[in-house]
Amino acid sequence: MIELENISFSYPDKKVLDGFSLSLNQGEISCLLGSSGCGKTTILRLIAGLEVPGKGRVVLNDIVLSEDGKNIVPPHKRNVGFIFQDLALWPHFTVYKNIAFGLEERKVPDTKERVRKMLDHFSIADLAGKYPHQLSGGQKQLVAISRSLVLEPDVLLMDEPLSNLDVTLNRKILQHIKDLKTSFNVTIIYVTHDHREAFAIANNVVVLNNGKIEDSGNVDHIKNSKNNYLKNFLEY
Amino acid sequence: MTKKYRTSFLHFSLPAVVKWAFVFFVFVPLIYTFILTFTGCEKFLSNFDQLDAVTFLLLLKSGSIALAVALLSTLTGTFLGFLLYKMHIKYGSFFKIVLLIPLFLSPYILAVAWKDLFFMLLGETQFITSVSGLVLVLTTIYAPLAVLITGNALMNIDSQIEESALMISRFGRVFTRIILPLIKPALLSSFVLIFIFSISEFSVPAFFGVKVFTTEIFAQFSAFYNHALAVLQSSLLIIICILLLLGEKNYLSEAPFFSIGSKGTKTRTYHNKKYEPLFLSALILWITISVVLPFLVLFVQAFNGGTSQIVKAFELLKPTFATSFWLSLTGTAITLFIGLTAAYSSVRGTGKANLFDLILLIAFATPSIILGISLIKFYNQPFFNFIYSSYAIILIGYTGKYTFISTKLIANAIRQVPLSLDEAAQIAGISKSSRIRKILLPHISPALFGAFIISFIFNLGELGTTIMVYPPGTEIMPIKVYTIMANAPQALTSSMTLIVFSVTLILIGGFYVTGKKLIKIPQE
Repeated sequence: MIELENISFSYPDKKVLDGFSLSLNQGEISCLLGSSGCGKTTILRLIAGLEVPGKGRVVLNDIVLSEDGKNIVPPHKRNVGFIFQDLALWPHFTVYKNIAFGLEERKVPDTKERVRKMLDHFSIADLAGKYPHQLSGGQKQLVAISRSLVLEPDVLLMDEPLSNLDVTLNRKILQHIKDLKTSFNVTIIYVTHDHREAFAIANNVVVLNNGKIEDSGNVDHIKNSKNNYLKNFLEY
Repeated sequence: MTKKYRTSFLHFSLPAVVKWAFVFFVFVPLIYTFILTFTGCEKFLSNFDQLDAVTFLLLLKSGSIALAVALLSTLTGTFLGFLLYKMHIKYGSFFKIVLLIPLFLSPYILAVAWKDLFFMLLGETQFITSVSGLVLVLTTIYAPLAVLITGNALMNIDSQIEESALMISRFGRVFTRIILPLIKPALLSSFVLIFIFSISEFSVPAFFGVKVFTTEIFAQFSAFYNHALAVLQSSLLIIICILLLLGEKNYLSEAPFFSIGSKGTKTRTYHNKKYEPLFLSALILWITISVVLPFLVLFVQAFNGGTSQIVKAFELLKPTFATSFWLSLTGTAITLFIGLTAAYSSVRGTGKANLFDLILLIAFATPSIILGISLIKFYNQPFFNFIYSSYAIILIGYTGKYTFISTKLIANAIRQVPLSLDEAAQIAGISKSSRIRKILLPHISPALFGAFIISFIFNLGELGTTIMVYPPGTEIMPIKVYTIMANAPQALTSSMTLIVFSVTLILIGGFYVTGKKLIKIPQE
């Protein structure tokens, strides 16, 4: 269970969340859906530990990760994966090294084997020696996913990972993401502004507007919601 | 019948004319000097025996000093750059500006101040006029350059690249495995540039009386009139500088660190409340050592025996103010014109500007004293007498030294202006000159103004080239101070230096205030 309790958070020039609470179940794909600036990325960053709530607390599986301005568990000890919007592959590392880096840092003994397994799973073994600038958009996407999954995270956070892909590739990667839950038994929190993406993969959708939850529930519930904001949002 | 679209001659030839003019007036003299080493009466082989062990030992000494300065400056600069550009530090913006002051002052000003400081603290001491003293002073002068270069690189690391690593590893590892490798080109460039500047530095070792390679070249040229040997030694130094530059030419030719108002990508900054007081103290300590203390010491020394020395110094310098001002202003106008033309054609043109960028970089990194010798050798001919015996030769020197900085400042600003702004105007049928004047220039005005201030201040303090080329009877501020400081009492030297220091700061302040009032940046 991931819980955000009574969170307040501001950037220097903007208040993003004020008394925000949310609880998400383990083992599901949850989508945070909303337009730009509604606070969805901030929520991911709070869970990851890249931001600390000014007030309130973030709890994962009954462990308090951060509370009232204190980062109790640092990002690298939360066992959380993060796929950034720009993917953020390390440009000076090869594909192999990008995936292996986290394992090496944790001194995992069977690093090579685990990396090889991951490369095989996503059929990117032939890219192992290439650098990020030599990859296509879709290949980069798979490397970013592999890099996070190889560490066997409890939760995988995805921040609009498909925003830079064309429609065909988008569908292909979306299917990969959908399969992750069963193949890797990982909880996914997926942020998007595109309701079609959310409806295609989510078990649970949380619709956000100006740092508040407008509605949440399964896909059917959201599709049939009477919420005015939501009706308007889904029209576009 | 189709009609061929005609482009006016002037439309595309102005950048070419400007570039060729630069190549002819600045670069050809450098090449000419280099060729002289191998041909004519000053044959390489006939002079080779003059390059004895003593010369090479001196070169080794200069190289070692430059190596130490480059290492220390880059290390210090990276640390300070990290504090200023990646940490939340109170008054960070203020520190960023103040820390750069030594870069805008002529090195000899700081040399005088440091000598005064050690004299005040320790009395007659040999330390400051030793190799160690020279390394210390040059490090305080060049560390800000390392801050500028590494700070810019740190600011341009995409936050997500760092954050994706922070999800995996602790900060220390992220710093060594991700951040440092990503700024490696900047670290190497900082090292190379500072090495070249240090090995080329003339005024500080000359003032301290430390014999190095550049002072030897100066002595051979000006005291022993052994031009052949001076040219040969210069060629050795040019070869070293060019070889070093070629290794880092891609990064240095672009010079992303010479930019004004660029915000970088969304960079990540770190909070560390526990160590913030310590970091703040480190910054204050550095600024005290490199900026405040020199100024205070000069002030105390200048007024040590009352106001008589400062009055005398002012009287001596008075005739130089107008000449220095107008000469610097003219030099600045020329550098800005070439800089704007070259930058525009480089960023918005055919993309074939790499060679010219390299030429600008070589001219910029050529030791001042060698640029001076080259200009003398080339222009000391009957048909170039109008250049050789006039201020024109000084202006050529300024142009050679500082056009690179102007060009890069302007080019990096042009890169930030969306091309679509120009294209929208182009489609609306607006002429190229109007588009440049009414669309591009307002957007790059802060960078233009920054380039103006920087060029002006650099021209005003230029000594290395000017001391070689200035026509007899010329009254220029740095020359006046330099020629007097050898035989004048310490208080008079300090007074003159203080006046030059103050004039420089007043002009920077005056320009800054005027610029703030005049420049309106278009808001998006």
